Amino acid sequence: MASAPTPLVVDRPDQDESVVPDTPWVVLVWNDPINLMSYVTFVLQKLFGYSLEKATAMMLDVHHKGRAVVANGAREKAELDVFRLHEHGLWATMQRDGT
Amino acid sequence: MVRRFKAPITRKGAGFRVNLDADELELLSRLLSELRTLLLGPSTDDRLKRLFPTAYHQPGDSEMDDEYQRLMREDLVASRLSGINAVEAALENVGGRPGAKHVPELTESQLLAFMQAINGLRLVLGTMLDVSEEHDLDQVEADHPLIGEFHLYGYLSWVLESCVAALQG
Repeated sequence: MASAPTPLVVDRPDQDESVVPDTPWVVLVWNDPINLMSYVTFVLQKLFGYSLEKATAMMLDVHHKGRAVVANGAREKAELDVFRLHEHGLWATMQRDGT
Repeated sequence: MVRRFKAPITRKGAGFRVNLDADELELLSRLLSELRTLLLGPSTDDRLKRLFPTAYHQPGDSEMDDEYQRLMREDLVASRLSGINAVEAALENVGGRPGAKHVPELTESQLLAFMQAINGLRLVLGTMLDVSEEHDLDQVEADHPLIGEFHLYGYLSWVLESCVAALQG
């Protein structure tokens, strides 16, 4: 992938965006009657690299408490995580951390 | 439906064997084709709602969700369609030949596509049947108008469970 340096054109962000700190978001998976428990565990392992133990604990949280936080980060990252969970048919949403 | 002792998906070396007979492969191929038609049809179809969930669920974030749906829905459809194509290509030439002894084999990435496609079918069927957490096929009346769909749902759950077990094994 390495290549000769090329001039970089930087898009200056709007002033108001650059002063607002990046709010952290959390990605939630919600309990649903269709997805199998084993499948949910497997998807969490596959998408986030969690151990079987950690993914199982999250899945059980989803099952017993109705939802669980499975990932967090900046909005763009959280949205990509939600998208990948949707690709796998999980009921995933996102919200600002602490709300 | 006769449940054999052999799991539908088993690991073989670096790949996976699909231990389904020609009738079952034919059935899956028909269902996948129906799912494709559904995905290409009106986006307002209720049967699709579990395939395209809300991303931003908080009341104040509905504009962001509109944007997510506008930008990502097409990608989600494309992703599902390419998965269906991959599964069909992988299983091609093995279905529809009664008595064929050939056992199809899938690579891991093909099995992952297969798994997602099967789950997509379950989400559509589960939505149509409005299954609950306590869903139990044995409790469904034998003369229920959708009894065939309930059996199909149970069958697909069994196949999916086997995909996961094979991938984790």
